[in-house]
Amino acid sequence: MLSVEGLTVAADGVELVHDVSFTIAPGERVGLIGESGSGKSLTALSLMGLLPEGVTATGAARLHDRDLVGVPEKRLKDLRGSELAMVFQEPMTALNPLMRVGAQVAEVMTLHGVPRDRARARAAELLGRVRLPHPEQVARAYPHQLSGGQRQRVMLAIALANGPDLLICDEPTTALDVTVQKQMLDLIAEVAPALLFITHDLAVVASVCERVLVMYGGRVVESGPIREVFTRPRHRYTEGLLAASKLTPRGTRLPTIAGSVPAAGTFPGGCVFRNRCPHADTTCEQAPALTGEGHAHACWHPADRG
Amino acid sequence: MPTHAGTPLIEASGLTRVYHRPRTSLTRPGEPVHALRGVSLTIRKGERFGIVGESGSGKSTLLRLLCALDRPTAGSIRFDGREITGLPERRLRFLRHSLQIVFQDPMSSLDPRMRVRDLVAEPLVALGEPVGDRVTELLDAVGLPATAAGRYPHQFSGGQRQRIAIARALAPRPKVLVADEPVSALDVSVRGQILNLLADLVDELGLTLVFVSHDLSVVRHVCETVAVMNDGEIVETGAVDDVWAEPRHAYTRTLLQAVPTLEGFR
Repeated sequence: MLSVEGLTVAADGVELVHDVSFTIAPGERVGLIGESGSGKSLTALSLMGLLPEGVTATGAARLHDRDLVGVPEKRLKDLRGSELAMVFQEPMTALNPLMRVGAQVAEVMTLHGVPRDRARARAAELLGRVRLPHPEQVARAYPHQLSGGQRQRVMLAIALANGPDLLICDEPTTALDVTVQKQMLDLIAEVAPALLFITHDLAVVASVCERVLVMYGGRVVESGPIREVFTRPRHRYTEGLLAASKLTPRGTRLPTIAGSVPAAGTFPGGCVFRNRCPHADTTCEQAPALTGEGHAHACWHPADRG
Repeated sequence: MPTHAGTPLIEASGLTRVYHRPRTSLTRPGEPVHALRGVSLTIRKGERFGIVGESGSGKSTLLRLLCALDRPTAGSIRFDGREITGLPERRLRFLRHSLQIVFQDPMSSLDPRMRVRDLVAEPLVALGEPVGDRVTELLDAVGLPATAAGRYPHQFSGGQRQRIAIARALAPRPKVLVADEPVSALDVSVRGQILNLLADLVDELGLTLVFVSHDLSVVRHVCETVAVMNDGEIVETGAVDDVWAEPRHAYTRTLLQAVPTLEGFR
């Protein structure tokens, strides 16, 4: 349904995302994990056609048979909010503080040609669908009158308003408390038609998605079914990330990855992880290709062959 | 490892803090918000004490009171046997010496216009103490090169900035280090480095650690004792391993179940 081929995002001649390819089938829930600076958000924004000024995407991305990259804004406007929709990390900045939330949910429908009165009725229905109690009352509230979790539900209602085929969520629960996060994740998993879920939290991905792409330095370094990637990671970065995510008992040293994520444009040539990788040698000065059917990895010295 | 054998260092009893919402009517006062409802706790010397709770649980209010950055509506806090509630700032110098804080977001807790040298030395300057070679010594202790002293906070990554914040907190040689969500804003691959560093420093310097977090699994790695807060009260307290294995309070159980894990992916 969604196919991305050789997506590259660059700003001022610096490549921020390099040659990313993946597909999402109808009903599939795919996670995109990576730390800050890995290029995961830029990948999502380029699919939505929302890249900031001066940042350009090349390559191909298709939703059904419609191009998403390199097409004029006018064509994208029809797709955005109707066939593909996005939930952002920070609902306080994504929602309009001066507009009642019911009107904001209705707006995305009227923009795509739904008559005003029907949009208003459906807005309340949608707020109920994302399990907001007393949807009619909530529809009359302003964003600041709602809690963080409620605001994020409103964002989800807006995203679902026109029945999109693909939902993109960019760290939708990072700002929420754990108990609220759990409700939100369960809800997303239930209502998403097909999902691209972006996060830095491996445990969150594990609870929502079936397949995962691991990004580092603007490249997909490993991809495959969650269970396989998380039980038998091949790329050394994934291996390190998993080890660092598991908190060992008190008094023991936590496993870490040496150094820190380089700033954009300062990643080493060849394998982007080689300056932090304990297994790197001269072979790694050549960029490894993402190889493997199903469970793929881009590493010259992969872990765990057994 | 010192456990419950230590003598009490921080003793809080019956802490209550009521805030008032801004008034919405001319005739009635603003609605009161009960941020803390009678919280009592004892933190012993050398202990690693965790405070867990979600937003609105009162953990930040409790922290502000323990650090004497705010005054309780009722109740008392004794630090090393001395009452600290109601003291004017000029009589809190001993506390500013003995207790230092590391905040969640080093980007907003470090002044962007100050060089690292001045940031780390500031607590000493404020207390009127000689700085000497202390900055280099502290930077070395937190794993930063001495050349870092001449640079500004924005030139460092999130993990390095948190190291700067830790160096600054350690400057007056405190007895107690209070860490408010010190790793929540960091990437996973860096989180371990900071937690390891904190554990090392607490061991080497014989510090008492008060560690606030929303994540019980992080607290379990760092602390030996935990207090779980909900709605302005401590609902459960005890050895962290016991609370983890057999939570007695319903809220603790909810909290534990909500934490996403990688269990089952080993």
